Amino acid sequence: MLPQMGAAAESLSKASSLVMRIGTDAHLYDDPDDVSIKPLLESRYDSEKVDALKRLLALIAQGADVSHFFPQVVKNVASHSLEVKKLVYLYLLHYAEKRQNEALLSINCFQKDLSDTNPLVRAWALRAMTGIRLHVVSPLILAAITKCARDPSPYVRKCAAYALPKLYNLHQEEISSLEQLVDVLLRDNSPAVVGSASVAFNAICPNNYPLISKHFKRLCEALPDVEEWSQIILIEILLRYTVARHGLVRESVLFSDVTHDSTFSSVMSRCYVEGHELWSGDGRGFEEVEMGTCKNEDVDLLLKCTAPLLWSQNSAVVLAAAGVHWIVGPAEEVKKIVKPILFLLRSSSVAKYVVLCNILAFAKAAPLLFDSFYEEFFISSSDSYQIKTIKLEILSTIATESSVPFIFGEFQDYIRDPDRRFVADTVAVIGFIAKQLAVLAGTCLEGLLKLVLSEPLVSGSYQIEEEDGVLVQAIISIKSILKQDPSSHEKVIVRLVRNLDRIKNSASRALIIWIFGEYSSMGDVIPKIAPTVLKYLAWSFHSDEVEAKLQILNTCAKVTAKTKGNNEDSTLFKKILNYILQLATFDQNYDVRDRARFIRNLMGNKTKNNLDIYRDLIESMFCTKPASSPYPSANIRVYLPGSLSQVVLHAAPGYTPLPKPGSAVIENPTGLNNSSDVDESEGSSPQYSTEDNRSGYDTGTEETSENGDYEETPLVNISEANVDQGQTSQNDMSNFVSTDLSEMMSRTALESWLDETPSFSNGSFGQSHSQNVSTSNARVSFNDRNFKLKPRKSHVLLEPANSDGLRISYSFSTEVSSVSPLLVCVDLLFENFAKETLRNINIRFEEASGNSISGPTDPVLEDSASMVSPDKIPTFPMEEIPLLSPNETVKRILQVRFQHHLLPLKLHILWNGKMHLGKLWPDIAYFLRPLSLDMNSFVEKEKQLPGMFECSRRCIFSDHLQELEQNEKISVNADKSLVVAHCFAVKILSSSNFYLVSMDMPVSLKPDDMSGLCLRFAGEVVNSSKPCLITVIAHGNLTEPLDVTVKLNSEDTVFGLNLLNRLVAIVQ
Amino acid sequence: MQQLQCIFLLSESSGEVMVEKQTTGHHVDRSICAWFWHQYNHHRNNDQMSVVTSPTHYLFPLIRHGIIFLACTQLELPPLLPIEFLSRFADILSDYLCAGSGAGATLNEDIVKDNFVIVYEVLDEMMDNGFPLTTEPNLLKDIVLPPNLVTKVLHAVTGNSSPSVGPTLPHAAASTVPWRSTHPKTTTNEVYVNLVEQLDASVNRDGNLRRCQVYGEIQVNSSLPGFPDLTLSFTNPSLLNDVRFHPCVRFRPWESSQVLSFVPPDGHFKLMTYRVKELKKIPIYVKPQLTSDSGNCRISALVGVRNDPGKTIDSIIVEFQLPPCITSADLTSNHGTVDILADKTCRWSIGQIPKDKLPSLSGNLVLEPGLDRLHVAPTFQVRFKIMGIAMSGLQIDKLDVKNMPANPYKGFRAQTQAGDYEFRS
Repeated sequence: MLPQMGAAAESLSKASSLVMRIGTDAHLYDDPDDVSIKPLLESRYDSEKVDALKRLLALIAQGADVSHFFPQVVKNVASHSLEVKKLVYLYLLHYAEKRQNEALLSINCFQKDLSDTNPLVRAWALRAMTGIRLHVVSPLILAAITKCARDPSPYVRKCAAYALPKLYNLHQEEISSLEQLVDVLLRDNSPAVVGSASVAFNAICPNNYPLISKHFKRLCEALPDVEEWSQIILIEILLRYTVARHGLVRESVLFSDVTHDSTFSSVMSRCYVEGHELWSGDGRGFEEVEMGTCKNEDVDLLLKCTAPLLWSQNSAVVLAAAGVHWIVGPAEEVKKIVKPILFLLRSSSVAKYVVLCNILAFAKAAPLLFDSFYEEFFISSSDSYQIKTIKLEILSTIATESSVPFIFGEFQDYIRDPDRRFVADTVAVIGFIAKQLAVLAGTCLEGLLKLVLSEPLVSGSYQIEEEDGVLVQAIISIKSILKQDPSSHEKVIVRLVRNLDRIKNSASRALIIWIFGEYSSMGDVIPKIAPTVLKYLAWSFHSDEVEAKLQILNTCAKVTAKTKGNNEDSTLFKKILNYILQLATFDQNYDVRDRARFIRNLMGNKTKNNLDIYRDLIESMFCTKPASSPYPSANIRVYLPGSLSQVVLHAAPGYTPLPKPGSAVIENPTGLNNSSDVDESEGSSPQYSTEDNRSGYDTGTEETSENGDYEETPLVNISEANVDQGQTSQNDMSNFVSTDLSEMMSRTALESWLDETPSFSNGSFGQSHSQNVSTSNARVSFNDRNFKLKPRKSHVLLEPANSDGLRISYSFSTEVSSVSPLLVCVDLLFENFAKETLRNINIRFEEASGNSISGPTDPVLEDSASMVSPDKIPTFPMEEIPLLSPNETVKRILQVRFQHHLLPLKLHILWNGKMHLGKLWPDIAYFLRPLSLDMNSFVEKEKQLPGMFECSRRCIFSDHLQELEQNEKISVNADKSLVVAHCFAVKILSSSNFYLVSMDMPVSLKPDDMSGLCLRFAGEVVNSSKPCLITVIAHGNLTEPLDVTVKLNSEDTVFGLNLLNRLVAIVQ
Repeated sequence: MQQLQCIFLLSESSGEVMVEKQTTGHHVDRSICAWFWHQYNHHRNNDQMSVVTSPTHYLFPLIRHGIIFLACTQLELPPLLPIEFLSRFADILSDYLCAGSGAGATLNEDIVKDNFVIVYEVLDEMMDNGFPLTTEPNLLKDIVLPPNLVTKVLHAVTGNSSPSVGPTLPHAAASTVPWRSTHPKTTTNEVYVNLVEQLDASVNRDGNLRRCQVYGEIQVNSSLPGFPDLTLSFTNPSLLNDVRFHPCVRFRPWESSQVLSFVPPDGHFKLMTYRVKELKKIPIYVKPQLTSDSGNCRISALVGVRNDPGKTIDSIIVEFQLPPCITSADLTSNHGTVDILADKTCRWSIGQIPKDKLPSLSGNLVLEPGLDRLHVAPTFQVRFKIMGIAMSGLQIDKLDVKNMPANPYKGFRAQTQAGDYEFRS
């Protein structure tokens, strides 16, 4: 080609590739950091942000560490552009674990996105939030997942199911609530969600068989509609459940006569169940195990539902379904998995190997299944070496007398294959098959001998390693066939020995010499040629290599030892032996010298008496073979079909064998009629299900109803709890609103409770009643705090030990900040324990020191702040304490804005010119402002926040017991229930910033019964100004610890859930 | 937990890591790629490893179009899951990145690098926490928009990249038929059914046909509005030995009467794959002959048509690997061109068989010194293409379309190409 043309072509191809690259991100990948990324990230334009984020992604792809951009990137999580979001999420997920503190800043935005109208945004937010794996926020994540599990969009619910394992990895404590969520999602009517739920099940509680038992029938029926990837997991779950529940199946191929090799299949079944580590290798089947039958309805259903999956386009599904039929299917029907599995071989070359590994295991247990399909395992020239060898192994396993002629015909082509490693393997397989099928021994030997003696292999001049491999393998094969019946193949040995001179390879020579020595006294011909052979060996000894030399020594010793009597031969042999021994004693190799000395000492002894003994000794050393090892069962490595372990042939981490058959005892045997009962009730509301059961009790047989009852018990419990709660609250409400008596009761109750408060304004009865109550109430909590309320819990900010005797403690104040509603007031108490005066004590926030990474002026938070109030809210600075004399205490109020209700705020404490770092931990109970509501508006608000905005928890309250005891001593007349209620209110009000809306006393005939005590509190969340309503309902007798249900209604569900946890902690 | 911990995309030629996507909290260090690359080069000759046990991880490599897709895990999981996933991912990526750039374009490392953002976005949608999330191509295309010519040009002109992320969640994600998007699209009201068959055949040294079978796919390209319900039936379904279906195919009708009843996805998809075994006729034959003597080997090969299929056989290529013990080769042919490639593959491109003569190849091979005769025999692989015929003889009876306002246009096509089609010498 002319040079110009070449250049033209080159530029042309350049041009065309340039055209291809137009409009792609090629320039970003080539030079990701050719501009400064930081300003782009802070740009106002989405397109510039996208550009910057793409550059970061390119750097990640190229392996650079760009985690130092984290603070800038995390701000952009609040962007409204979906593309920016997606790119930010990609970045966050990559680095969140490294930069946990900064990652926390994104949580707020995720929470906001979780209530977006676009399901894609919700799903992404959930995926990102759970994907960043922050241990601190696991309660928030749980709340988010709980919320998303009830999302109207199945896609979001699916993502919620996928999020469960992530949370589980993070935080394994709340497993019961996770299991509940799995249960909820397994109930879902969208197959996609059910599929993902089963993935979550497998990750969280794979042994929770009762849960599967509840859904078994539905899961089986949903199986074909579930997404293919989940099918793989779901099939496994159902199989494990079936085995655990009903045991292994007696009719299955593992226990039947179809298997050619019963030892193997019983070993296999043991391996499936017990795994390799436990299995002792005794090759016994196990009789003690519980056996099921495939007549069982569950097993039958599982088989029916997995059968069509053998047609799936996903090969992993096909193999999983085949595994089910293999393990629990009846032996006579297991045939139907054969063709689908074989068809998998055509799907992709990568999958081929995995499929073949599984076929090999199946074929070893039941070769008859595959014997007519031998053609499938013929090699094609495109197969890789790995695949070729495993195909050969399968062929050797399934070869029968009828198929062997075809297989050998095929092998004849293989022997001419250019890949000599493969040829050597083929030769080995020929030997193996001939050993199995004795009829073929003659033909095989003939063929192998021809191969050994064929020119290229033995012609000395052209020798490469691989050819030697073939030759050695061929002789090994011959040797192993000879071993079966040496006497009938005498001629073969003779021919081998006669060609010894042509064979140059030392390993092959050693083998042939061994064969000769081994069978030297057998038959008619060999003893006759023995002297000649020995002469030849003596002649060639010096030119042989070590391997052959050792064998020559051995063989000479053997032949000499075997020759009894004192004839011509025997003297000749001794002469030759002596000659060789002499040569060997001066050999360069010390192994050869050693061997020579050893043999000389054994044989060379001249005393006649000892000769016989030595001869016996030699004979037993050289000529007696140890009994051939029994069935090499210890080498069998079998793992569950379709598993990674079966392919790599060791138990991969995380591999679990099948559960112990029959280990799962589920009380309610799901018979057909029962299970349909259960299904119905599952679909309907719990209330309905109890009714349904009752009617079942009337009409049905005793047995079914009993079972049904048992099954329903947990449901009934839940519904009772719910119903009761509903009823009591309804009762309470109606009492309060309409009934005069109850109004009086609660009114007087309050009055008597408040009678100790001096500032209680005696509002008149009437329409403004609740208004009055509430105002007076507010005053109680305010003025009375020092007396009535317990001192607020104070936390230590600075220990005197680290700070020259300055101690700072803080407690949260109920005061509302005068500057901005977003600020929280904290009371700081400065105490000087030192002997010197401390000067210039001040507190600054980290922002002030110029560290902008997590300063309170983070733009993300500014955004959300500015939505509430347009002006910037700085954290209000503290008034400096100029002097603090020893033992003096000074109180200051600090108004702070926390970034998050779970994250601490970092402070710099300055005194005497020194600086110390401190952390102010937030208390969620003070992230509220009291919200004064009357009863009616409380009920109104509560109605607006139903369902997902409502959460409740139960706990035990026992503080009142102590209080009662004390009260008994002081005044006998006090209303005990009042004391309890009082005690309750104090407890909550003294450690949170709520407003007490109402307190309802129970109206009961029994004096000690406190059931129905109901307190209502209201507050407003500081950050979002959303109302937050608390209802506390108590149950039980006042002389015992009370069973308390705390219910919280709030739009800000995540905050609410955290608050609820805090409240429960307070109450307990 | 069944999960993949990381997915890497490596260049097959240089081992460079092009894309790294960590899917779980357990980050996999990219040094594993270097380890794998070393192993891969070491075994390159004829070992394609499908599961690799590295000192720290189990690796699942998939090599396509010069790109190594590498999935890593430390825990037990069904090995076919990552294998299937990677091949699905490779398909989807080709579809995304090459569909717009003209026919015949295949994925290569440059395209992957140029579109790395899309690769990341697609991968992130396809996998969550190391488990496949959305793999349905139609759905994915609604979430992550594929690049098309218009946006590309726009980007080049204005410098603003158009968003690559779809505005909202496609409805199909929520529907019971996730493969079909329900929102109305402009459709042409057509459906094409294409039978694509691969003929596997193997003829041994004596010229006997050892094995002959067809592996076929029914590819459907549907562009129908609404929610069409299709039924496809065959005149001779008994031919089919093995079948596998797209998830849209209902099992019951197939079980009872061997008809395919399905609601098709939009666009191009593989409805069914099948196999027809034990065929007796092959359309084309090769007669190789090798005779060697005193360090030389004479080679000749004849190619001819047998059992004329009635359509032209196109793009015939005969390939064979010269044995390693050959030092030089001198080959000529009376028709077509002969090339010897760097890895000692000899490629004889014939094209169509001329009417007047039989294409033949002849030449001389020189063996390594010291070797008298050739004791190994190369296998001749043949590639060809026949348009307009399904060699299995499978025939489509009819395609019924229900649930449609207007009768759509239906098109049927068939083609056969060579699969593992080989002659041993």
